[in-house]
Amino acid sequence: MDSLTKLWLSTGLANFELGQVIMMLVGCGLLYLAIARNFEPLLLLPMGFGAILTNIPVAGFSEVGGLLHYIYYAGIDTGIFPLIIFMGVGAMTDFGALIANPKTLLLGASAQFGIFATLFGAIALNGIPGIEFSLKDASAIAIIGGADGPTAIFLASKLAPELLGAIAVAAYSYMALVPIIQPPIMKALTTEDERKIEMAQLRPVTKVEKIIFPLGVLLMTIFFLPSATPLVGMFCLGNLMRESGVVDRLSSTSQNELINITTIFLGLGVGSKLSAEAFLNVQTLGILGLGAVAFSIGTASGVLMAKLMNKFSKEKVNPLIGAAGVSAVPMAARVANKVGLEANPHNFLLMHAMGPNVAGVLGSAVAAGILLALVG
Amino acid sequence: MNSMEHQFIEAGTLMLAGMVFVFAFLSLLIIFINTVLARLAVKFPDAITPSRSHSSTKNKKAVSGEISPAIVAAISGSISQYRHKHSTQYKSKR
Repeated sequence: MDSLTKLWLSTGLANFELGQVIMMLVGCGLLYLAIARNFEPLLLLPMGFGAILTNIPVAGFSEVGGLLHYIYYAGIDTGIFPLIIFMGVGAMTDFGALIANPKTLLLGASAQFGIFATLFGAIALNGIPGIEFSLKDASAIAIIGGADGPTAIFLASKLAPELLGAIAVAAYSYMALVPIIQPPIMKALTTEDERKIEMAQLRPVTKVEKIIFPLGVLLMTIFFLPSATPLVGMFCLGNLMRESGVVDRLSSTSQNELINITTIFLGLGVGSKLSAEAFLNVQTLGILGLGAVAFSIGTASGVLMAKLMNKFSKEKVNPLIGAAGVSAVPMAARVANKVGLEANPHNFLLMHAMGPNVAGVLGSAVAAGILLALVG
Repeated sequence: MNSMEHQFIEAGTLMLAGMVFVFAFLSLLIIFINTVLARLAVKFPDAITPSRSHSSTKNKKAVSGEISPAIVAAISGSISQYRHKHSTQYKSKR
């Protein structure tokens, strides 16, 4: 009889807690979004599965000795996984459109207002009972507005590791929702005529320019913002491997095999943070809400900046490309292209939108560096 | 309430400092692109790749039905390599 009782007590059924069941359902929800809705499946699938694994009673996946525990502490707590992914993103990024039209950097810069404005929102939420965000927490939440997964995970793991799960879920969910969130804001802030603006063709960019660019960015970061060098440095390394043309094998590995392997572990590691006690609270709702606000403000600031540039610049800028300033490469640029085509079927904005899009990646890395330097 | 006010002031300072810095940094980058990179582009333009007349004649041959012996050798070589690899795998499984 004792053995039978012992056997029963070792089953999942005897040990389930309500919170674990709910979190497993959240994990299933993430799997549904990834598989059925194709929402950022590369990350949401391992993340959802990680959430299920970490909430299995008795198995102890996220306790000392458990697989997810080690994955988290080896790769996310140390910041290694997001940085490796950033290197891969650098190897995939073509700065040609940005170098050809450098003023689009201003659009990438203004879209970062979403990040800093959300800081206010996070602090304001402290007025609600049950929510208590410190300035570090608020900074980690605000970076969702940068629409850059690795940057958000990197900063959250440094400033507010206990909020990492909710921040990563919010960041990737909203990045997947860019085609739904952005168009209404873009249309509300622009006139039909503005959306029809056709932009001048971009000049060709030489190979030497593309090689010197990442080195120049790195040098500037070393001089002015060393706290951003982990992110910017890895990004520039990946980009230099791509543009130099002499290490195609390394470039190909970092943008394919390496980034894929790391994404599996990153997803599982973030999923391990989706435990009931860390996720099922009012703060998570606050984070999800603030994430949407951050995205919307970032989009609006980019569009408004483009309109402002139109007033002073000789060459016309289609304000829609301003929305691509919120990183989310290349989804945001595609959205700008699509909304532009709706207004003018002959107007292809994709290449023009790639400029602010990659500027947004640099901008959010710089913003993360500033938050790390001032709050971390 | 006092601490919240204090936090708001801190967040405001952070927002101001952050936005000014992001704009300053990316504006410097614009200057870098417009000066250094633009000059480099003029000094070191991309080499013009010569038109490959040889490959085009080879292609024409292929279109007309003649397959070059080099291509035949490459294909048959890779087929025999694949068969060899496959048969050793099969044997090792057994």
